Amino acid sequence: MTTVSAYESNENSTISTYFQIDDTWKMATGKGVSIAVVDSGIDTTHADLQGKVKQSVEARADHKRVVFEPSEVGDSAGHGTACASIISRIAPDAEFGSIKVLGASGLGDGIAFLAGLEYAVKNKYQIINLSLGTTKPQFFSPLHDLLDRAYQAGCIVVAAANNLPQPSFPSVFSSSLISVSKHEDSDPFNFGFRYGEVIELTAPGVNIRTAWLNNSHKSLTGNSFACPHIVGVIALLLEKHPELTPFQVKSALYAIAQENQDKKKLAEAAKQNDSQDKILR
Amino acid sequence: MPEEENKNSEAKLRSIIATIDVANALTAPLTLSIENLLKISAAEINSEEASVLIRDGDAGDLLFLAAIGKVAEHLKTLKIPSGKGIAGFVFSSGQPMALTDVGEEDTFYAAVDQQTGYSTQTILAAPLRHDGEIIGVLEYVNRIGEPPFEPFTSAEMDKVALFAEAIASLVNAYESAKLFRDLSDKMLSQPEKMRFEEVREWLQDLRETTEHKEMLDLAVVVREIAGRGANERRLCKEVLESILRYSEDNAETSFLSS
Repeated sequence: MTTVSAYESNENSTISTYFQIDDTWKMATGKGVSIAVVDSGIDTTHADLQGKVKQSVEARADHKRVVFEPSEVGDSAGHGTACASIISRIAPDAEFGSIKVLGASGLGDGIAFLAGLEYAVKNKYQIINLSLGTTKPQFFSPLHDLLDRAYQAGCIVVAAANNLPQPSFPSVFSSSLISVSKHEDSDPFNFGFRYGEVIELTAPGVNIRTAWLNNSHKSLTGNSFACPHIVGVIALLLEKHPELTPFQVKSALYAIAQENQDKKKLAEAAKQNDSQDKILR
Repeated sequence: MPEEENKNSEAKLRSIIATIDVANALTAPLTLSIENLLKISAAEINSEEASVLIRDGDAGDLLFLAAIGKVAEHLKTLKIPSGKGIAGFVFSSGQPMALTDVGEEDTFYAAVDQQTGYSTQTILAAPLRHDGEIIGVLEYVNRIGEPPFEPFTSAEMDKVALFAEAIASLVNAYESAKLFRDLSDKMLSQPEKMRFEEVREWLQDLRETTEHKEMLDLAVVVREIAGRGANERRLCKEVLESILRYSEDNAETSFLSS
Protein backbone atom coordinates (compact mmCIF):
# COMPACT_ATOMS: atom_id res chain seq x y z
CA MET A 1 0.00 0.00 0.00
CA THR A 2 1.40 3.37 -0.99
CA THR A 3 0.21 6.35 1.04
CA VAL A 4 0.55 9.67 -0.69
CA SER A 5 0.46 12.87 1.31
CA ALA A 6 -0.05 15.68 -1.11
CA TYR A 7 -0.18 18.35 1.62
CA GLU A 8 0.49 18.20 5.36
CA SER A 9 -2.88 18.70 7.04
CA ASN A 10 -3.17 20.92 10.09
CA GLU A 11 -5.99 22.03 12.36
CA ASN A 12 -6.67 25.14 10.27
CA SER A 13 -6.99 23.20 7.07
CA THR A 14 -10.17 21.53 5.94
CA ILE A 15 -8.66 20.09 2.77
CA SER A 16 -8.66 16.35 2.61
CA THR A 17 -5.01 15.86 1.83
CA TYR A 18 -4.30 12.17 1.91
CA PHE A 19 -5.08 9.47 -0.59
CA GLN A 20 -4.01 5.89 -0.65
CA ILE A 21 -2.98 3.79 -3.62
CA ASP A 22 -2.80 0.07 -3.14
CA ASP A 23 -0.87 -2.11 -5.54
CA THR A 24 -3.99 -3.13 -7.50
CA TRP A 25 -3.13 -0.39 -10.02
CA LYS A 26 -0.44 -2.73 -11.29
CA MET A 27 -3.21 -5.11 -12.42
CA ALA A 28 -4.98 -2.39 -14.42
CA THR A 29 -4.83 -2.26 -18.23
CA GLY A 30 -5.32 1.44 -18.92
CA LYS A 31 -8.96 0.87 -19.97
CA GLY A 32 -10.78 4.11 -20.72
CA VAL A 33 -7.61 6.22 -20.56
CA SER A 34 -6.78 8.42 -23.57
CA ILE A 35 -3.17 9.04 -24.53
CA ALA A 36 -1.82 11.42 -27.16
CA VAL A 37 1.53 10.57 -28.76
CA VAL A 38 2.95 13.78 -30.25
CA ASP A 39 5.61 12.37 -32.55
CA SER A 40 6.33 10.99 -36.04
CA GLY A 41 2.90 9.29 -36.26
CA ILE A 42 1.83 5.76 -35.33
CA ASP A 43 1.72 2.80 -37.72
CA THR A 44 -1.86 1.68 -37.08
CA THR A 45 -1.37 -1.48 -39.14
CA HIS A 46 1.38 -2.84 -36.89
CA ALA A 47 0.26 -6.07 -35.23
CA ASP A 48 1.12 -4.67 -31.76
CA LEU A 49 -1.14 -1.65 -32.20
CA GLN A 50 -4.07 -2.73 -34.33
CA GLY A 51 -7.38 -1.28 -33.15
CA LYS A 52 -5.77 0.85 -30.46
CA VAL A 53 -5.32 4.13 -32.30
CA LYS A 54 -8.62 6.02 -32.22
CA GLN A 55 -7.46 9.19 -33.93
CA SER A 56 -4.62 9.95 -36.35
CA VAL A 57 -3.93 13.52 -37.37
CA GLU A 58 -0.97 15.27 -38.93
CA ALA A 59 0.28 18.83 -38.99
CA ARG A 60 0.09 20.89 -42.14
CA ALA A 61 1.39 24.40 -42.65
CA ASP A 62 -1.36 26.97 -43.21
CA HIS A 63 0.49 30.23 -43.87
CA LYS A 64 2.28 30.86 -40.59
CA ARG A 65 -0.07 28.70 -38.54
CA VAL A 66 -0.64 24.96 -38.29
CA VAL A 67 -3.74 22.92 -39.00
CA PHE A 68 -4.29 19.28 -38.14
CA GLU A 69 -5.96 17.00 -40.66
CA PRO A 70 -6.80 13.29 -40.57
CA SER A 71 -3.67 11.32 -41.41
CA GLU A 72 -3.42 8.27 -43.63
CA VAL A 73 0.36 8.06 -43.75
CA GLY A 74 0.95 6.30 -40.44
CA ASP A 75 4.50 6.74 -39.20
CA SER A 76 7.25 8.30 -41.28
CA ALA A 77 10.17 7.37 -39.02
CA GLY A 78 9.23 4.53 -36.65
CA HIS A 79 9.77 6.54 -33.47
CA GLY A 80 6.10 7.27 -32.69
CA THR A 81 5.19 3.64 -33.31
CA ALA A 82 7.99 2.56 -30.94
CA CYS A 83 6.75 4.90 -28.18
CA ALA A 84 3.11 3.78 -28.59
CA SER A 85 4.11 0.11 -28.45
CA ILE A 86 5.95 0.62 -25.14
CA ILE A 87 2.89 2.30 -23.63
CA SER A 88 0.63 -0.39 -25.03
CA ARG A 89 2.73 -3.17 -23.53
CA ILE A 90 2.15 -1.68 -20.06
CA ALA A 91 -1.40 -0.41 -20.64
CA PRO A 92 -2.84 -2.68 -23.41
CA ASP A 93 -6.38 -1.28 -23.21
CA ALA A 94 -5.44 2.40 -23.37
CA GLU A 95 -6.67 4.39 -26.38
CA PHE A 96 -4.23 6.33 -28.53
CA GLY A 97 -4.32 9.53 -30.48
CA SER A 98 -1.51 9.91 -32.99
CA ILE A 99 -0.54 13.55 -33.44
CA LYS A 100 2.05 13.61 -36.18
CA VAL A 101 4.28 16.67 -36.00
CA LEU A 102 7.48 15.36 -37.57
CA GLY A 103 7.93 15.11 -41.29
CA ALA A 104 5.47 17.88 -42.18
CA SER A 105 7.02 19.94 -44.93
CA GLY A 106 7.02 23.69 -44.68
CA LEU A 107 6.95 23.73 -40.89
CA GLY A 108 9.73 24.58 -38.49
CA ASP A 109 10.24 21.74 -36.04
CA GLY A 110 9.41 23.80 -32.95
CA ILE A 111 6.22 25.30 -34.40
CA ALA A 112 4.67 21.95 -35.35
CA PHE A 113 5.71 20.50 -32.02
CA LEU A 114 4.03 23.30 -30.03
CA ALA A 115 0.93 23.12 -32.20
CA GLY A 116 0.75 19.35 -31.62
CA LEU A 117 0.89 19.82 -27.88
CA GLU A 118 -1.81 22.50 -28.07
CA TYR A 119 -3.98 20.20 -30.18
CA ALA A 120 -3.66 17.41 -27.60
CA VAL A 121 -4.59 19.76 -24.74
CA LYS A 122 -7.58 21.18 -26.64
CA ASN A 123 -8.78 17.67 -27.40
CA LYS A 124 -8.55 16.80 -23.70
CA TYR A 125 -6.25 13.82 -23.89
CA GLN A 126 -5.64 12.64 -20.33
CA ILE A 127 -1.95 11.90 -20.87
CA ILE A 128 0.38 13.40 -23.47
CA ASN A 129 3.60 11.61 -24.46
CA LEU A 130 6.29 14.06 -25.58
CA SER A 131 9.37 12.08 -26.50
CA LEU A 132 10.54 15.17 -28.37
CA GLY A 133 11.91 18.52 -27.35
CA THR A 134 13.44 21.72 -28.60
CA THR A 135 16.43 23.79 -27.51
CA LYS A 136 15.38 26.89 -29.41
CA PRO A 137 15.26 29.75 -26.91
CA GLN A 138 12.38 31.48 -28.74
CA PHE A 139 10.06 28.59 -27.79
CA PHE A 140 10.85 28.73 -24.08
CA SER A 141 8.10 31.17 -23.17
CA PRO A 142 5.23 29.89 -25.37
CA LEU A 143 5.96 26.31 -24.33
CA HIS A 144 5.90 27.29 -20.68
CA ASP A 145 2.56 29.00 -21.18
CA LEU A 146 1.15 26.00 -23.03
CA LEU A 147 2.25 23.58 -20.32
CA ASP A 148 0.60 25.72 -17.68
CA ARG A 149 -2.61 25.56 -19.69
CA ALA A 150 -2.27 21.76 -19.91
CA TYR A 151 -1.74 21.57 -16.17
CA GLN A 152 -4.80 23.70 -15.47
CA ALA A 153 -6.87 21.58 -17.87
CA GLY A 154 -5.81 18.43 -15.99
CA CYS A 155 -3.74 16.96 -18.86
CA ILE A 156 -0.71 15.07 -17.65
CA VAL A 157 2.26 15.88 -19.85
CA VAL A 158 5.24 13.53 -19.76
CA ALA A 159 8.41 14.63 -21.57
CA ALA A 160 11.72 12.94 -22.38
CA ALA A 161 14.90 14.69 -21.36
CA ASN A 162 17.64 14.85 -23.93
CA ASN A 163 21.02 13.61 -22.78
CA LEU A 164 22.94 16.42 -24.38
CA PRO A 165 24.81 19.13 -22.50
CA GLN A 166 22.27 21.78 -23.61
CA PRO A 167 18.96 21.76 -21.71
CA SER A 168 15.94 21.00 -23.88
CA PHE A 169 12.41 22.27 -23.47
CA PRO A 170 10.00 21.25 -22.11
CA SER A 171 11.81 18.59 -20.06
CA VAL A 172 13.48 21.24 -17.87
CA PHE A 173 10.13 22.73 -16.78
CA SER A 174 9.72 20.74 -13.60
CA SER A 175 6.56 22.25 -12.16
CA SER A 176 3.94 21.67 -14.86
CA LEU A 177 5.03 18.37 -16.32
CA ILE A 178 6.73 15.09 -15.58
CA SER A 179 10.21 14.71 -17.09
CA VAL A 180 11.97 11.40 -17.60
CA SER A 181 15.45 10.12 -18.40
CA LYS A 182 16.62 6.56 -19.03
CA HIS A 183 18.06 4.01 -16.63
CA GLU A 184 19.32 0.45 -17.18
CA ASP A 185 16.68 -1.49 -15.21
CA SER A 186 14.05 -3.08 -17.44
CA ASP A 187 11.12 -3.39 -14.99
CA PRO A 188 8.59 -0.65 -15.88
CA PHE A 189 7.23 -0.58 -12.32
CA ASN A 190 10.67 -0.15 -10.82
CA PHE A 191 11.07 3.49 -11.84
CA GLY A 192 13.06 6.02 -9.84
CA PHE A 193 12.49 9.56 -8.60
CA ARG A 194 15.38 11.97 -8.14
CA TYR A 195 13.85 14.65 -5.95
CA GLY A 196 15.52 18.02 -6.46
CA GLU A 197 16.99 17.14 -9.85
CA VAL A 198 15.84 18.93 -13.00
CA ILE A 199 14.85 15.62 -14.60
CA GLU A 200 13.03 13.92 -11.77
CA LEU A 201 12.04 10.47 -12.99
CA THR A 202 14.12 7.61 -14.33
CA ALA A 203 12.61 4.66 -16.21
CA PRO A 204 13.74 1.86 -18.57
CA GLY A 205 15.36 3.27 -21.70
CA VAL A 206 18.19 0.92 -22.62
CA ASN A 207 17.79 -1.82 -25.25
CA ILE A 208 14.01 -1.65 -25.19
CA ARG A 209 12.28 -4.02 -27.59
CA THR A 210 9.69 -2.00 -29.53
CA ALA A 211 7.48 -2.10 -32.57
CA TRP A 212 8.98 -0.48 -35.68
CA LEU A 213 8.13 0.21 -39.31
CA ASN A 214 7.00 -2.56 -41.68
CA ASN A 215 5.59 -4.70 -38.89
CA SER A 216 9.08 -5.25 -37.46
CA HIS A 217 10.65 -4.87 -34.00
CA LYS A 218 13.85 -3.17 -32.88
CA SER A 219 15.94 -2.75 -29.74
CA LEU A 220 16.22 0.93 -28.94
CA THR A 221 18.11 3.07 -26.44
CA GLY A 222 17.35 6.67 -25.49
CA ASN A 223 15.41 8.90 -23.13
CA SER A 224 12.68 8.90 -25.79
CA PHE A 225 11.85 5.35 -24.74
CA ALA A 226 11.96 6.00 -20.98
CA CYS A 227 9.16 8.57 -21.33
CA PRO A 228 6.49 6.12 -22.63
CA HIS A 229 7.22 3.74 -19.76
CA ILE A 230 6.07 6.41 -17.31
CA VAL A 231 3.09 7.23 -19.55
CA GLY A 232 2.06 3.57 -19.36
CA VAL A 233 2.35 3.55 -15.57
CA ILE A 234 0.24 6.73 -15.31
CA ALA A 235 -2.42 5.15 -17.56
CA LEU A 236 -2.75 2.30 -15.05
CA LEU A 237 -2.94 4.74 -12.13
CA LEU A 238 -5.60 6.80 -13.90
CA GLU A 239 -7.76 3.79 -14.68
CA LYS A 240 -7.87 2.96 -10.98
CA HIS A 241 -7.96 6.57 -9.79
CA PRO A 242 -9.45 8.74 -12.55
CA GLU A 243 -9.91 11.60 -10.09
CA LEU A 244 -6.16 12.20 -9.71
CA THR A 245 -4.89 15.65 -10.73
CA PRO A 246 -1.50 16.12 -12.43
CA PHE A 247 -0.06 17.22 -9.08
CA GLN A 248 -1.42 14.13 -7.33
CA VAL A 249 -0.12 11.84 -10.09
CA LYS A 250 3.35 13.27 -9.60
CA SER A 251 3.05 12.83 -5.84
CA ALA A 252 1.93 9.23 -6.35
CA LEU A 253 4.88 8.54 -8.67
CA TYR A 254 7.19 10.01 -6.06
CA ALA A 255 5.71 7.85 -3.30
CA ILE A 256 5.86 4.66 -5.43
CA ALA A 257 9.44 5.40 -6.44
CA GLN A 258 10.37 5.93 -2.78
CA GLU A 259 8.86 2.56 -2.00
CA ASN A 260 10.83 1.01 -4.89
CA GLN A 261 14.01 2.54 -3.49
CA ASP A 262 13.27 1.30 0.06
CA LYS A 263 12.66 -2.21 -1.25
CA LYS A 264 15.93 -2.10 -3.18
CA LYS A 265 17.84 -0.95 -0.09
CA LEU A 266 16.27 -3.72 2.03
CA ALA A 267 17.15 -6.31 -0.62
CA GLU A 268 20.74 -5.05 -0.79
CA ALA A 269 21.06 -5.10 3.02
CA ALA A 270 19.66 -8.64 3.17
CA LYS A 271 22.12 -9.74 0.48
CA GLN A 272 25.01 -8.18 2.40
CA ASN A 273 23.93 -9.88 5.67
CA ASP A 274 23.64 -13.14 3.82
CA SER A 275 27.17 -12.94 2.43
CA GLN A 276 28.53 -11.93 5.88
CA ASP A 277 26.78 -14.95 7.45
CA LYS A 278 28.41 -17.20 4.86
CA ILE A 279 31.85 -15.80 5.70
CA LEU A 280 31.28 -16.28 9.48
CA ARG A 281 30.08 -19.86 9.00
CA MET B 1 28.11 54.33 -64.12
CA PRO B 2 31.05 56.74 -63.94
CA GLU B 3 34.50 55.19 -64.39
CA GLU B 4 35.68 56.23 -60.93
CA GLU B 5 32.77 54.49 -59.25
CA ASN B 6 33.56 51.30 -61.19
CA LYS B 7 37.15 51.40 -60.01
CA ASN B 8 35.95 51.85 -56.43
CA SER B 9 33.65 48.85 -56.69
CA GLU B 10 36.41 46.75 -58.14
CA ALA B 11 38.78 47.77 -55.35
CA LYS B 12 36.15 46.93 -52.74
CA LEU B 13 35.51 43.52 -54.29
CA ARG B 14 39.23 42.77 -54.43
CA SER B 15 39.52 43.65 -50.76
CA ILE B 16 36.60 41.40 -49.86
CA ILE B 17 37.96 38.53 -51.96
CA ALA B 18 41.20 38.80 -50.00
CA THR B 19 39.16 38.26 -46.82
CA ILE B 20 37.26 35.41 -48.45
CA ASP B 21 40.57 33.67 -49.10
CA VAL B 22 41.12 33.61 -45.36
CA ALA B 23 37.78 31.89 -44.82
CA ASN B 24 38.51 29.51 -47.67
CA ALA B 25 41.78 28.52 -46.07
CA LEU B 26 39.90 27.81 -42.84
CA THR B 27 37.48 25.29 -44.41
CA ALA B 28 39.88 22.42 -45.14
CA PRO B 29 41.44 22.28 -41.65
CA LEU B 30 37.92 22.27 -40.19
CA THR B 31 36.84 19.13 -42.06
CA LEU B 32 40.15 17.53 -41.12
CA SER B 33 39.55 18.41 -37.44
CA ILE B 34 36.02 16.96 -37.66
CA GLU B 35 37.43 13.71 -39.09
CA ASN B 36 40.08 13.61 -36.36
CA LEU B 37 37.39 14.00 -33.70
CA LEU B 38 35.37 11.28 -35.43
CA LYS B 39 38.37 8.93 -35.21
CA ILE B 40 38.96 9.69 -31.53
CA SER B 41 35.30 9.36 -30.58
CA ALA B 42 34.78 6.18 -32.64
CA ALA B 43 37.76 4.56 -30.93
CA GLU B 44 36.38 5.69 -27.57
CA ILE B 45 33.08 3.88 -28.11
CA ASN B 46 34.56 0.96 -30.06
CA SER B 47 32.74 1.78 -33.29
CA GLU B 48 33.78 0.98 -36.83
CA GLU B 49 32.20 3.69 -38.95
CA ALA B 50 31.44 7.29 -37.98
CA SER B 51 30.06 10.19 -39.92
CA VAL B 52 28.78 13.74 -39.67
CA LEU B 53 25.74 14.71 -41.70
CA ILE B 54 24.65 18.27 -42.38
CA ARG B 55 21.61 19.90 -43.92
CA ASP B 56 21.54 20.08 -47.69
CA GLY B 57 19.10 22.72 -48.87
CA ASP B 58 15.87 23.88 -47.25
CA ALA B 59 13.92 20.61 -47.59
CA GLY B 60 15.75 19.00 -44.68
CA ASP B 61 17.78 16.52 -46.76
CA LEU B 62 21.12 15.49 -45.30
CA LEU B 63 24.54 14.94 -46.86
CA PHE B 64 27.73 13.50 -45.42
CA LEU B 65 30.21 16.24 -44.55
CA ALA B 66 32.81 13.89 -43.04
CA ALA B 67 33.10 10.16 -42.58
CA ILE B 68 35.62 7.57 -41.44
CA GLY B 69 35.67 3.82 -42.03
CA LYS B 70 35.57 1.29 -44.85
CA VAL B 71 32.91 3.02 -46.95
CA ALA B 72 33.67 6.62 -45.97
CA GLU B 73 34.40 7.85 -49.48
CA HIS B 74 31.26 6.22 -50.88
CA LEU B 75 29.10 7.72 -48.12
CA LYS B 76 30.29 11.21 -49.04
CA THR B 77 28.57 10.81 -52.40
CA LEU B 78 25.17 9.93 -50.87
CA LYS B 79 22.29 12.05 -49.70
CA ILE B 80 19.63 11.17 -47.16
CA PRO B 81 16.13 12.45 -48.01
CA SER B 82 14.30 14.47 -45.36
CA GLY B 83 13.10 12.40 -42.39
CA LYS B 84 14.53 9.11 -43.71
CA GLY B 85 16.53 6.70 -41.61
CA ILE B 86 17.68 7.22 -38.05
CA ALA B 87 19.79 10.22 -39.04
CA GLY B 88 16.75 11.88 -40.64
CA PHE B 89 14.68 11.29 -37.53
CA VAL B 90 17.36 12.53 -35.14
CA PHE B 91 17.80 15.64 -37.27
CA SER B 92 14.10 16.47 -37.25
CA SER B 93 13.39 15.48 -33.63
CA GLY B 94 16.58 16.47 -31.84
CA GLN B 95 16.47 13.26 -29.81
CA PRO B 96 19.56 11.05 -29.69
CA MET B 97 18.91 7.34 -30.06
CA ALA B 98 20.57 3.97 -30.56
CA LEU B 99 19.11 1.09 -32.53
CA THR B 100 20.11 -2.53 -32.99
CA ASP B 101 18.85 -5.18 -35.41
CA VAL B 102 18.60 -2.70 -38.26
CA GLY B 103 17.74 -5.66 -40.45
CA GLU B 104 16.72 -6.03 -44.06
CA GLU B 105 13.11 -5.07 -43.45
CA ASP B 106 14.27 -1.50 -42.89
CA THR B 107 14.01 -0.47 -46.51
CA PHE B 108 15.97 2.75 -46.11
CA TYR B 109 19.12 1.15 -44.70
CA ALA B 110 18.79 -1.82 -47.05
CA ALA B 111 18.98 0.63 -49.97
CA VAL B 112 21.99 2.47 -48.52
CA ASP B 113 23.78 -0.82 -47.81
CA GLN B 114 23.09 -1.99 -51.34
CA GLN B 115 24.83 1.09 -52.68
CA THR B 116 27.84 0.92 -50.35
CA GLY B 117 28.18 -2.86 -50.06
CA TYR B 118 28.16 -2.46 -46.29
CA SER B 119 25.97 -4.18 -43.70
CA THR B 120 24.41 -1.78 -41.17
CA GLN B 121 23.49 -3.64 -38.00
CA THR B 122 23.64 -1.24 -35.09
CA ILE B 123 23.49 2.57 -35.04
CA LEU B 124 24.00 5.36 -32.51
CA ALA B 125 22.99 8.86 -33.60
CA ALA B 126 22.99 12.21 -31.80
CA PRO B 127 21.94 15.67 -32.98
CA LEU B 128 24.50 18.42 -33.50
CA ARG B 129 23.22 21.65 -32.02
CA HIS B 130 24.48 25.18 -32.17
CA ASP B 131 22.66 28.06 -30.47
CA GLY B 132 19.57 25.90 -30.04
CA GLU B 133 19.41 25.01 -33.74
CA ILE B 134 19.98 21.49 -35.01
CA ILE B 135 22.70 21.80 -37.64
CA GLY B 136 23.50 18.15 -38.27
CA VAL B 137 23.75 14.60 -36.99
CA LEU B 138 26.63 12.59 -35.58
CA GLU B 139 26.26 8.90 -36.38
CA TYR B 140 28.19 5.75 -35.47
CA VAL B 141 27.58 2.42 -37.20
CA ASN B 142 28.58 -1.10 -36.03
CA ARG B 143 31.38 -2.16 -33.70
CA ILE B 144 35.02 -2.94 -34.37
CA GLY B 145 35.39 -6.67 -35.08
CA GLU B 146 33.04 -9.30 -36.37
CA PRO B 147 29.24 -9.49 -36.00
CA PRO B 148 27.06 -10.03 -34.07
CA PHE B 149 27.72 -6.63 -32.53
CA GLU B 150 26.98 -5.60 -28.95
CA PRO B 151 24.40 -2.79 -28.79
CA PHE B 152 25.66 0.71 -27.98
CA THR B 153 25.32 1.34 -24.25
CA SER B 154 23.70 4.12 -22.29
CA ALA B 155 27.13 5.32 -21.09
CA GLU B 156 28.40 5.45 -24.68
CA MET B 157 25.37 7.50 -25.67
CA ASP B 158 26.19 10.01 -22.92
CA LYS B 159 29.83 10.10 -24.01
CA VAL B 160 28.81 10.76 -27.61
CA ALA B 161 26.72 13.72 -26.42
CA LEU B 162 29.92 15.41 -25.27
CA PHE B 163 31.70 14.74 -28.58
CA ALA B 164 28.60 16.05 -30.36
CA GLU B 165 28.98 19.41 -28.64
CA ALA B 166 32.60 19.78 -29.79
CA ILE B 167 31.85 18.60 -33.31
CA ALA B 168 28.85 20.94 -33.55
CA SER B 169 31.14 23.93 -32.93
CA LEU B 170 33.40 22.80 -35.76
CA VAL B 171 30.45 22.17 -38.08
CA ASN B 172 29.12 25.64 -37.35
CA ALA B 173 32.51 27.17 -38.12
CA TYR B 174 32.63 25.10 -41.31
CA GLU B 175 29.18 26.32 -42.39
CA SER B 176 30.21 29.96 -41.89
CA ALA B 177 33.44 29.50 -43.78
CA LYS B 178 31.63 27.61 -46.55
CA LEU B 179 29.33 30.57 -47.18
CA PHE B 180 32.30 32.70 -48.08
CA ARG B 181 33.97 29.90 -50.02
CA ASP B 182 30.89 29.28 -52.16
CA LEU B 183 30.46 32.93 -52.90
CA SER B 184 34.10 33.23 -53.79
CA ASP B 185 33.86 30.21 -56.12
CA LYS B 186 30.84 31.70 -57.83
CA MET B 187 32.48 35.06 -58.32
CA LEU B 188 35.68 33.64 -59.70
CA SER B 189 34.24 30.90 -61.89
CA GLN B 190 31.18 32.53 -63.45
CA PRO B 191 31.70 36.27 -63.49
CA GLU B 192 29.59 36.61 -66.64
CA LYS B 193 26.53 35.00 -64.99
CA MET B 194 26.85 36.96 -61.79
CA ARG B 195 24.31 39.64 -61.05
CA PHE B 196 27.04 42.05 -60.23
CA GLU B 197 24.95 44.81 -58.65
CA GLU B 198 23.11 42.42 -56.37
CA VAL B 199 26.25 40.73 -55.11
CA ARG B 200 28.02 44.02 -54.70
CA GLU B 201 25.20 45.36 -52.52
CA TRP B 202 25.11 42.18 -50.48
CA LEU B 203 28.85 42.27 -49.91
CA GLN B 204 28.70 45.94 -49.07
CA ASP B 205 26.00 45.32 -46.45
CA LEU B 206 27.93 42.41 -45.05
CA ARG B 207 31.11 44.35 -44.89
CA GLU B 208 29.40 47.16 -43.05
CA THR B 209 28.06 44.84 -40.36
CA THR B 210 30.30 45.44 -37.35
CA GLU B 211 29.84 41.93 -35.95
CA HIS B 212 30.90 40.27 -39.22
CA LYS B 213 33.89 42.49 -39.59
CA GLU B 214 35.00 41.88 -36.02
CA MET B 215 34.56 38.13 -36.40
CA LEU B 216 36.58 38.05 -39.59
CA ASP B 217 39.30 40.18 -38.00
CA LEU B 218 39.38 37.75 -35.08
CA ALA B 219 39.59 34.77 -37.43
CA VAL B 220 42.54 36.40 -39.21
CA VAL B 221 44.36 37.02 -35.91
CA VAL B 222 43.73 33.47 -34.64
CA ARG B 223 44.90 32.01 -37.93
CA GLU B 224 48.08 34.04 -37.82
CA ILE B 225 48.82 32.96 -34.25
CA ALA B 226 48.03 29.34 -35.11
CA GLY B 227 50.62 29.44 -37.86
CA ARG B 228 53.42 30.58 -35.55
CA GLY B 229 53.88 27.32 -33.63
CA ALA B 230 52.57 24.92 -31.00
CA ASN B 231 53.40 27.17 -28.00
CA GLU B 232 51.58 30.11 -29.54
CA ARG B 233 48.54 27.89 -30.29
CA ARG B 234 48.41 26.65 -26.68
CA LEU B 235 48.76 30.16 -25.25
CA CYS B 236 46.09 31.50 -27.61
CA LYS B 237 43.71 28.70 -26.60
CA GLU B 238 44.30 29.36 -22.88
CA VAL B 239 43.70 33.09 -23.29
CA LEU B 240 40.50 32.53 -25.27
CA GLU B 241 39.23 29.97 -22.75
CA SER B 242 39.92 32.32 -19.85
CA ILE B 243 37.85 34.98 -21.64
CA LEU B 244 35.04 32.44 -21.94
CA ARG B 245 35.25 31.62 -18.22
CA TYR B 246 35.22 35.33 -17.37
CA SER B 247 32.18 35.81 -19.58
CA GLU B 248 30.33 32.86 -17.99
CA ASP B 249 31.15 34.02 -14.44
CA ASN B 250 29.58 37.37 -15.19
CA ALA B 251 26.39 35.93 -16.67
CA GLU B 252 23.12 36.60 -14.85
CA THR B 253 22.18 33.62 -12.71
CA SER B 254 19.75 35.19 -10.31
CA PHE B 255 17.29 38.04 -10.39
CA LEU B 256 16.98 38.26 -6.60
CA SER B 257 18.72 41.10 -4.81
CA SER B 258 21.36 39.78 -2.45
